[in-house]
Amino acid sequence: MVLMESRSYVSETEKMLREVSSLGHDISESLNVEMLRENANLNGESFSGKIGKFGSEYAKWYARYYILPEQLMAAVDHNDLYVHDLDQYAVGSTNCIFIPFDKLLSRGFSTGSGSVRPPQSISSAMALVAIIFQCQQNSQYGGVSGSKLDHDLAPYVAKSFAKHFHKGLHYFNESFLTEDQDITLGNLKLSSSHPSSYSFAMQETKTECLQAAESLIHNLNTMSSRAGGQIPFTSINYGTCTSPEGQMIIDSILSTTMNGLGSGETPVFPIQIFKCKRGVNQSPEDPNYVLFLKAIECSTKRLYPNFANLDAPFNLQYYDPTDPNTEFATMGCRTRVLADRHGRNHLSGKGNLSFNTINLVKLGIKHGVVNGSTIPNELGFYRDLHHFLDIALDGLLHRYNIQARQPAKASDFMMREGVWEGGELLAPEESVEECLKHGSLSIGFIGLAECMKAMYGRHHAESDDVYNKALSLIASMRRYCDEKSEEHDLNITLIATPAEGLSGKFTKKDREVFGSISGVTDRDYYTNSFHVPVYHNLPAARKIALEAPFHELCNAGAISYVELDGNVRSNQKAFLRIVQYALSQNISYFSINHPIDRCGTCHYEGIIGDTCPQCGTNEADVPMHRLRRVTGYLTGDYQTRFNAAKQAEVRDRVKHK
Amino acid sequence: MNICGYYPESINEGDGLRAVIFLSGCRHRCSGCFNPETWNFNYGEPFTEHRQQEIINEMANNPLLDGMTLAGGDPFFSADEAADFIDKVRISLPNFSVWIYTGYMYEDIMAHMDSAEYRLLQKCQVVIDGPFIESLKNTSLPYRGSSNQRIIDIQANLRHDVATLL
Repeated sequence: MVLMESRSYVSETEKMLREVSSLGHDISESLNVEMLRENANLNGESFSGKIGKFGSEYAKWYARYYILPEQLMAAVDHNDLYVHDLDQYAVGSTNCIFIPFDKLLSRGFSTGSGSVRPPQSISSAMALVAIIFQCQQNSQYGGVSGSKLDHDLAPYVAKSFAKHFHKGLHYFNESFLTEDQDITLGNLKLSSSHPSSYSFAMQETKTECLQAAESLIHNLNTMSSRAGGQIPFTSINYGTCTSPEGQMIIDSILSTTMNGLGSGETPVFPIQIFKCKRGVNQSPEDPNYVLFLKAIECSTKRLYPNFANLDAPFNLQYYDPTDPNTEFATMGCRTRVLADRHGRNHLSGKGNLSFNTINLVKLGIKHGVVNGSTIPNELGFYRDLHHFLDIALDGLLHRYNIQARQPAKASDFMMREGVWEGGELLAPEESVEECLKHGSLSIGFIGLAECMKAMYGRHHAESDDVYNKALSLIASMRRYCDEKSEEHDLNITLIATPAEGLSGKFTKKDREVFGSISGVTDRDYYTNSFHVPVYHNLPAARKIALEAPFHELCNAGAISYVELDGNVRSNQKAFLRIVQYALSQNISYFSINHPIDRCGTCHYEGIIGDTCPQCGTNEADVPMHRLRRVTGYLTGDYQTRFNAAKQAEVRDRVKHK
Repeated sequence: MNICGYYPESINEGDGLRAVIFLSGCRHRCSGCFNPETWNFNYGEPFTEHRQQEIINEMANNPLLDGMTLAGGDPFFSADEAADFIDKVRISLPNFSVWIYTGYMYEDIMAHMDSAEYRLLQKCQVVIDGPFIESLKNTSLPYRGSSNQRIIDIQANLRHDVATLL
């Protein structure tokens, strides 16, 4: 007996050792391309990408063997659940955040290696935005977002204007009495009392603002400050600031985005989100309507901005027109953190802490008609669903306990500078729990379509009955989250998982076990969250109408897409109409996917078949860059940076011609 | 009349989101035509009463459509039937904008005011005219195949007697 035990002990140790050593071998020899391409923005085959992989793959291994609750581990191994960013689990880092740029800029901040004074012009302010994004992304592992960049930066346009105006007074010998007039862009009296200085200052400010925006966009696409040559996952939301300064910011960002990067290429970062609000930018009489139209034009050329819906009732309920921090905004990937049961019903200064995703498809296969039974076993399905919801939640709470007991100094910049609200009040050794409780713990799901197919023989876009079943299923998951929020006094929310690395992992394993099942496991990926499958052909309006009700249920965020095939740049009317229709249907976060091809020779952008319409270059001679979107993020060339599952998904997308 | 294609929604054959119906049959025989099989008047499926109503219902139920585009073939070779179909569409969709493609020149149709082709043209808002000329091929032009083709606002022209390009 003793011998047996020690033998099995030895073999377990050997197994672990073998795993660790093959991890290193696979990475250094680039043997596991799928693993290296898990993240489309990371060059896993580069030196720094590999070093990063060494760290993260070992951290995952360690978490699996020494940290994860046993049940969670088993659920992960059996392909029932997925723990996102497992490599970050053991150290207790957190996911994403909305950064209070207004606060950091107005007070100044310290990066740890040096301190920065409050900026006195829009060019310095925009330069500091990039620095702040960069500092913050090293304090956590997920996305960094500005929820109201136009509002945050408007004061610095005013500062620049005042500076230029004073210069103008000097150049043009115009005298000035400070008592009676404000030096602001919007003060039209100045334009008649000091015409030369005013128009000089206006012109200089516009130029400066545009250049500042240009350098911000370039910085956010070029500072590879994460392992693997990754740039921070940045998002910026804007669109509602109606001051002339705020409008200038929005205008500049859109102009520079349309101009593109150094050789005119589409910027991949930041993800841009235009915040749509009736009375502000949705009708011709609204003050920012012209900027909304410009956002539409920009999106037809550059895929960004996406569109956030402030008027959807579930977003509108937190809206205070006097406080831009209550305006719904989003992480580019879709994460939403608006409500807080501990009172912080605004965006800046908090974020999502972590999320676990449930494989709905496997539950469908187990209990559905796909097994040959005539009646699906709904009782069994829901019993199992709740079992895995419990395990997913236990995992989130377990991870939360690790996160909450970390000292403030561990997340460094985030707490010290008060990026996470209240962090600045903590002593370096103090635990962050009181701050983190304002964040969200989210349960996500993938493959509703394949789950329905397995359960009922049709997916939710193929039958009204099945659609209602699908809606009830997601509603019950939401109910579970709401109940558990009460029970644990934490923000437990439901997310329509952005499933990049995951889209193929679940499928591959399920196919090994259950074989290739038509409409269920026969593709290389599972359909994202509640989406209608990309291969299912239906009118755009119908897709929008079917997906809209799920947006309200997924209170931790969701996105819907419509695919358009063709050169949408020359048909902005269609684009505008589709966007406003989606908003009217209470889609919370929306975007339109369309192809942007770029000639490798002459840099022509548009639709390119085999040959470039401008210079005639053939794809066989010079590769074309074909920009596509994955998990909300653009990626330069989907044929080399996408993993296999995502490549398959892009190929299958049905487009509205 | 046969139809050889139907897109419930498209952005590539006119402004806004449009339903596109391809009517079979064309005698222009442009060299380099992208779908010469549609020259045949018997190509595709008969455009039956039932099929017409089906498409009209679908268009009427799509809140995103700005209008319909008739392509081909060349719908002007089936001018009477195409005009009848437009009338039928307008019963359910009185303000639906209709764009139409033709290999004829706009001026040639306008010169025959008692023709079926003229009556068809009058029922439409915009015509994209002219044959496809391979040497002038340019796929980056919105809605057109070659640079000789024009996008003409028919109603503006009827009013002003001048060729107005959109």
